[in-house]
Amino acid sequence: MAEAELDLLQNYLTVGAIVFMLGVVGLIARRNLIVMFLCAEMMLQGVSITLVAFSRFHNDWGGQMLVVFIIAVAACEAAIALALILMLYARAGKLDAAYWQEMREENVPPYIDREVPLERLEERRWPDLAPAGVAPEINEEEQSHRSHV
Amino acid sequence: MSDWTTIQKLLVAIPALPLVATMVTALLGPRYLRGKSHLPIVFGLVISCVLSLELLRQLNRAIENHETGIGYETTVDLWTWASVPEAYDGSGSRKTIGDSTGRLITDVHDASDSSGPFHIAVTLRADGLTCIMLAMVTLVALLIAIYAVGYMHQDRGCWRFFTYIGLFVFSMTMLVSASNFVLLYVFWEAVGLCSYLLIGFWYEKREAAAAGTKAFLVNRVGDFGFALALFFIWTVYGTLNFHDTQNAPGVLGQERLSSMQQEFGRPGESGEGHPRGAQDQDVRTGYVGGGIGLAICLLLMLGACGKSAQFPLHVWLPDAMEGPTPVSALIHAATMVTAGVYMVARCTPLFAVDCAPYLDPRAVVATIGGLSALIAGIIAMTQNDLKRVLAYSTISQLGYMFLALGTGSLVGIIAGMFHLFTHAFFKSLLFLGAGSVMHAMGGVIDMRKFGGLRRLMPMTFWTFLAGALALSGIWPLAGFFSKDAILAAAYDVGHGEAAYASLFLWLTYAAFLTAFLTALYTFRAFYMTFFGAEEIPAEAGHHARESRPIMTVPLVILALGALAVGWIFGQPGATKSGFAGVAASTPSLAVMVHPGYRALDTAAERKSAAERKSAAEKKSAAEKGSVAEKGLHQDSHRRVAIISLVLAVLGIGIAGFLYLGDAREVRAIIQWPVMKQLHRISYGKFFFDPVYWILVVLPGLALASICYAFDRWLIDGLVNTIGRIPSGIGRLFRNMQCGMLQTYALWMLLGVLTLLGSAVWHMW
Repeated sequence: MAEAELDLLQNYLTVGAIVFMLGVVGLIARRNLIVMFLCAEMMLQGVSITLVAFSRFHNDWGGQMLVVFIIAVAACEAAIALALILMLYARAGKLDAAYWQEMREENVPPYIDREVPLERLEERRWPDLAPAGVAPEINEEEQSHRSHV
Repeated sequence: MSDWTTIQKLLVAIPALPLVATMVTALLGPRYLRGKSHLPIVFGLVISCVLSLELLRQLNRAIENHETGIGYETTVDLWTWASVPEAYDGSGSRKTIGDSTGRLITDVHDASDSSGPFHIAVTLRADGLTCIMLAMVTLVALLIAIYAVGYMHQDRGCWRFFTYIGLFVFSMTMLVSASNFVLLYVFWEAVGLCSYLLIGFWYEKREAAAAGTKAFLVNRVGDFGFALALFFIWTVYGTLNFHDTQNAPGVLGQERLSSMQQEFGRPGESGEGHPRGAQDQDVRTGYVGGGIGLAICLLLMLGACGKSAQFPLHVWLPDAMEGPTPVSALIHAATMVTAGVYMVARCTPLFAVDCAPYLDPRAVVATIGGLSALIAGIIAMTQNDLKRVLAYSTISQLGYMFLALGTGSLVGIIAGMFHLFTHAFFKSLLFLGAGSVMHAMGGVIDMRKFGGLRRLMPMTFWTFLAGALALSGIWPLAGFFSKDAILAAAYDVGHGEAAYASLFLWLTYAAFLTAFLTALYTFRAFYMTFFGAEEIPAEAGHHARESRPIMTVPLVILALGALAVGWIFGQPGATKSGFAGVAASTPSLAVMVHPGYRALDTAAERKSAAERKSAAEKKSAAEKGSVAEKGLHQDSHRRVAIISLVLAVLGIGIAGFLYLGDAREVRAIIQWPVMKQLHRISYGKFFFDPVYWILVVLPGLALASICYAFDRWLIDGLVNTIGRIPSGIGRLFRNMQCGMLQTYALWMLLGVLTLLGSAVWHMW
């Protein structure tokens, strides 16, 4: 009995730890504000799973009570955090957390993302067939339209 | 207050009025009075002056009514400033002095009652010396304040000027009426402060600011000596009151003298009789002599030298002429610089002690005075700045006064005070005349740049002439009587049989030479300014005319004073209410005709012995007064008077020969080898300033720069290094704050891991 219970607990704890660490890694690695927020939520849920597992293991419902509170608090927090993210987006027009880095120390250089190479329109080559038969009628309008596809 | 006598009320009111006027001007001046700032001061001074004259009259009456006793004085206790019971530990402190300096005290008498309280009361006193000084100070101050109304009328800092003047008059009146050394010292410093403020009145001018600083610093040297003298007096006597102080108004009587002798040692007794006395005590006067007595006198004299600009410390006075001219007249000619003379005269009993086997302090005083008189007279010969000539002349005349005080005889001291009194009139007159010239010439005071002003400024011309004649000592002007009295006193000692007779003989010759030089340089300045071709500098502009009546009226009044005060007060046969009678009624001077007083020269001693006999016979103060009067003008002194008069006339004549016209002869004379060197020395002011620069200023600067370097590099370096440690540590962690959320989260994670790691580590 106790052996089975302990195995079960270990499984739960493993899942909780994995969820938590996924959240941590996501929070550190990702720069999208919403994703970061989701990762934070995930860490919370990882902790919640652990709490529930221990609660069940010790036969003490306090842990589950706490998880219910956590869910309620997380809901409020989500409301506030999303509102904040919305405001930040309204200001910056982007969700990149690296955009908000003015609050660094004076002499620390700003973080500059690697530049994404620009698409060069004129070098774009479309597949073409060898000319044969009658030259198709070139539709100017379609031509211009296609080039912008 | 209601039970005060008239004299006491007057004595309090005279300093109080300028103080009130000063406060009113200081409070209302900058906002409301502005150009009218002179009103409260002049008003206060008028009343003060009238009260001073009334005080003099009252004192005269009181002296006449008091037939018995030695001298007359009244004191008024205002409040107790400080009182420390059992402060004076005679035996202990005396022993320390004796041990540390070895020979100063040869034997210390230990006695049971050698402790006493330290009691400083704010006490004013009225006696002959004080009343004369009060009358002189307030009268001259009033006239100069009226003059300054015209002189300063364009100045923005008018209210500041009159506030300082009021403060000065308050301090000076308090200085002369103070009754103990601490009060004297306080107001001694206060007049020095006023002097500093007024020399640097035009502080935008570099020279004025530097001159103010110089005056203040040179005075520090003297004041340091004065302070040491006070410490000595406290250690030796256990009191800082002037030694003839008596609390009850009235007479310094026989009882007081005997109690004084009891206190300081009865004549002829030894051992039990004089608890605080050492063996060096002068048994006849009760004052401590020997090394200690000499030290006190020399230190007091150092203080007097600083304030009165005498030989080693005279360098500040000529520079002080950067201040406004009324200030030069009031503070640096008539009143403040005479504080040293007043102080030495006040301390006559201290200077009269027998300091054998050491120097006689009076000889030192006389030598310093005679040397100053001669040196300043020689320097004044070649100065081109009119005010500087007058400044050196002031030093020279103050030297005369010290020479007179140094003779140590009652006649000499009264002559010195009389010279102080007359000098105030004619020297302030000369300065105000120079100020009038300066005002008209647009601030130019170099005599080479103007000339022939006698038609342009007739009032200034005539009054200046009166002052110059008085300064030269032409009969019957003021300077003649006082200077003659001094020369006669010195001559007497020189021809007496005292130990220092030959010294005084030389000093008398120096004084005669100075009298000749005085006439020469005074009339050199006079001729260069008022005679010759009319010459007006470009700076004068439209100012080049006679000054306004508000400036010339004080000039005329002072000129009348210069003409008359000598004649009125210095006449032989005057009553005891004359100058000499009033001055001789000062207890500390009156004690000199008392048996037990040691005169320097035996001739004077014989004379005073005769006086003593007659005094003992008639027991009347009136007799003593007339004896003092006779002392001023004895028949045997007619020769001295004639010599000095001839010398003065000769000086004026030679000045006229040399400086009327194109001064061709002067240029010729300067080419003579001896005169060339003399001219160089005189023009270089005996090179006091460069010598002091090398001896005093340069070491001071070197020390200051070492201190600066020490402070700047070592102390500041240490402090800054310690200050840099936290900021250096902070700089290490600053780079963590890069503004990227992800980085913060990573650091947080690492922190949590570190905590967890340490927790786990400790669990094992």
